[in-house]
Amino acid sequence: MDLISLGIRSIFIENMIFAYFLGMCSFLAVSKKVSTAIGLGAAVIFVLTITAPLDWLIQEYILKEGALTWISPEFSELNLEFLQFIMFIAVIAALVQLVEMVIEKFSPSLYGTLGIFLPLIAVNCAILGSSLFMVQRDYNLAEATVFGFSSGIGWMMAIVALAAIREKLKYSNVPDGLKGLGLTMLITGLMGIAFKSFIGLAI
Amino acid sequence: MRQSNGYILTFTAIMTIAVGGILAAANQLLMPAQKKSIELDTKTQILKAVMTINPGDDVLKLYDQRISSLVVDIKGEEVTSNAKGEKLEAEAVDVAKEYKKEYKERLFPVFRFMDENDPTKVDAYIVPVYGAGLWDKIWGFVAINNDLKTITGVSFAHKGETPGLGARISEADIQSRYVGKSMYDENDRFVSIVMKKGEIGGGGEGSIAAFSSDTNHVDGMSGATLTANGVNSMLKKYLDYYQKYFNKVK
Amino acid sequence: MSTETLVQEKKEVKTEAWFSKRRKRFITDPLNEDNPITVQVLGICSALAITIKMEPTLIMSIAVVFVVVFSNLIISLIRNLIPNRVRIIVQLAVIATLVTLVSELLKAYNYEMYKVLGAFVGLIITNCIVMGRLEAFAMGNKPYDSMLDGLGSGLGYAWIILTVAFFRELFGSGSVFGFEVFKAIGIENMPNNSLMVDSIGAFMVLGIIIWIQRSKTGYVEH
Repeated sequence: MDLISLGIRSIFIENMIFAYFLGMCSFLAVSKKVSTAIGLGAAVIFVLTITAPLDWLIQEYILKEGALTWISPEFSELNLEFLQFIMFIAVIAALVQLVEMVIEKFSPSLYGTLGIFLPLIAVNCAILGSSLFMVQRDYNLAEATVFGFSSGIGWMMAIVALAAIREKLKYSNVPDGLKGLGLTMLITGLMGIAFKSFIGLAI
Repeated sequence: MRQSNGYILTFTAIMTIAVGGILAAANQLLMPAQKKSIELDTKTQILKAVMTINPGDDVLKLYDQRISSLVVDIKGEEVTSNAKGEKLEAEAVDVAKEYKKEYKERLFPVFRFMDENDPTKVDAYIVPVYGAGLWDKIWGFVAINNDLKTITGVSFAHKGETPGLGARISEADIQSRYVGKSMYDENDRFVSIVMKKGEIGGGGEGSIAAFSSDTNHVDGMSGATLTANGVNSMLKKYLDYYQKYFNKVK
Repeated sequence: MSTETLVQEKKEVKTEAWFSKRRKRFITDPLNEDNPITVQVLGICSALAITIKMEPTLIMSIAVVFVVVFSNLIISLIRNLIPNRVRIIVQLAVIATLVTLVSELLKAYNYEMYKVLGAFVGLIITNCIVMGRLEAFAMGNKPYDSMLDGLGSGLGYAWIILTVAFFRELFGSGSVFGFEVFKAIGIENMPNNSLMVDSIGAFMVLGIIIWIQRSKTGYVEH
C-alpha cells in the first residue's frame, strides 16, 4: 500500500518537472511534437527504472559508511560517500550507452525511434536527481524501484501534455518576444498549478 | 592512435586514478572540518530548544558547560555501552537510524540542561523527536522543565515541507507557541501537546493568546494541517517513549 | 621599470592582449544577447528549485561559475589527449569531480547552506550549461579563452537566477537576503504571495524575464 501511495505521489504531486524542475532542458527542447515527446518519455521511464535500483545497490553495498563489511569486517569504518556523484553519473552514462547498443542490435525499429534520444538522457537531470533524492530519503530497494519508475511516468506525462499544448499554439498569435521559451515557461507554470490540486492526495 | 582501444583503456585508467586520488585527498583533508560543522550543527539544535543562540556565541563551550547527556532504553534504564561493548555517547546516537528500528529496541538520548550556578541541578530535560511530515522527515528537540510536565521550548527542523506553509515549523513564531504547555491533562494523564487545525489566532502573539488557557493545545498553521498532523504524532510518540524515564527521575 | 614595460608591450604586440576585444566578447555576449538561459535554453534544471531565497541562489551561482570555469580549463588543457569515443564520460568525470569538491567544501565550511541546497549541488553535474560549454567551446579552444568563455556563461546564468530569486524572495517572503524590506520602508502588513515560494512562481517570473529581455534584444524564436 505504501508503495502505491509513493508511486502516486511521485507521479502527480512531486512531479519531477513541476515540483523540482528536473529534466527541464530536454523538456523544453523536445516538446514541440507529441510523437517525439512520447519517444523521449518512454526512454526516460526505461532508464529511470533501471538506474534507480542500480544506484541504490551501489549506495548500499559500496558507498555508504560501513557498506563494504560484506567483503571484510575491517571495512566497517570506511565511508566512500564522497565518490557518490561520480559513481552515479558513471552508472547512468554507462547504462545509457549499453541500452543504446542493445536496442541497436536487437530492435533496429525501436532504435530508429528512441536512438537519437538516448544520448540526451545521460545529461537529463531527472535521472541523476532521482538517484540523489532516493539516497536522501532513505528508500529501500522496492521503494527506490517504484520511485524511479513512477518519476519517469510523471515526467513523460508532463512532456507529452506540454507537447500537445505547443502543437496547438502554433496557430496562435503570440507577441514576438514571448514566442517559444517565454510562453512555454508560462504554460509550464499554469500546468504546475493544475498539478498542485493533487496535494494531500494519499491512498 | 588516439582511437585505438589500448590508448582509450590507458587514458581511462589514468583518469580514474587521478580523479579517485584527488577526491580521496580532498575528503581526507576536509573531514575534520566537516565533522566539526556537523557537531556544531547538532549541538546548536539541542541548545536552541532551551535558549536563543545568537550568531557568534561559542556553542561548543556553552554545550560543554551546561549539557550532561545520557542514553536510555524504552524501559527508562540507562544504557552505557553498545552491542560491541564500546562506550555509548548520547551525541553519537543517530535518531534517524534508531527510527528505523522497532521502537522497543531503539536508543533514546537525553540531554540534561544543568543549572548555571548549581551543576548538579537539572534545569530542563531535552529529548530528540523524529517523524514524518507531509513530504519528508521532520525532527527536532523538545525541552521539558524539571517538573517533567511543562515544555520550556522546542526546536523543529524539516527536510522538505512546503515553503511558507508546513515549513513554518522551523520558525520561532510556531515554536514559541509550545512554551509553557503541559504534556499531561488536569488528571495527570499523558496527552501530549496537540496542534489544532486552522489558525484562529492569526499568528504571532495572537496565536499564543488564543490558547493561553488551554495547556494541551497550540494554535495551528493555516494551510498546513497535514504537516501539523505529522508534528502531533511525532510529539505524541516520542514523549510517550520517554515516559518510563521521566517517571523514574520524578 | 621602463625596460619592464617595454618587454611587456613587446609581448602584447606578438600575442593577443589579455583582454582584447575578441576576448571581452566571451564574457559580454552570454550576459545578454547569447544568454545561456534565456536564449540558448540551457541549465534551467538544477537552478530554479533553489531560487526561493537570495542566499542559496548566490551560493549556487558561485558554485556553477566555479565549476564551469575550471571544467572548461581542465578539458581545454587535455583536449588533445581525450579519445573521441569516450569524451562524454571524460567530460562528465571532470565535472563530477569539481562538483564533489564544491559539495565537500560546503559541508565543511557552510553546513547551513549544505543542508539547504541538498541534492541540488550534485545536480550541477547535469546542468546543461557546463556540458554544453565543454562540448561547444573547450574541446576546440585554448585554455585561457576557455576560462573566459566559462566565466561569461557562468555569469550570464548567475544574473538571471539571481534576478528570479530577487523577485521570488521579495514577493514570496517580503525580504531580500533575509532583510525585511517592506517592514523597513513602513509597510507593515504586506501580504506574502505564496505562489512565489512555489515552483510555479519561478516559471512565471522566468517567463516574464525572458519576454522582457527578448523584446529588448529583438530575438524571435521560430
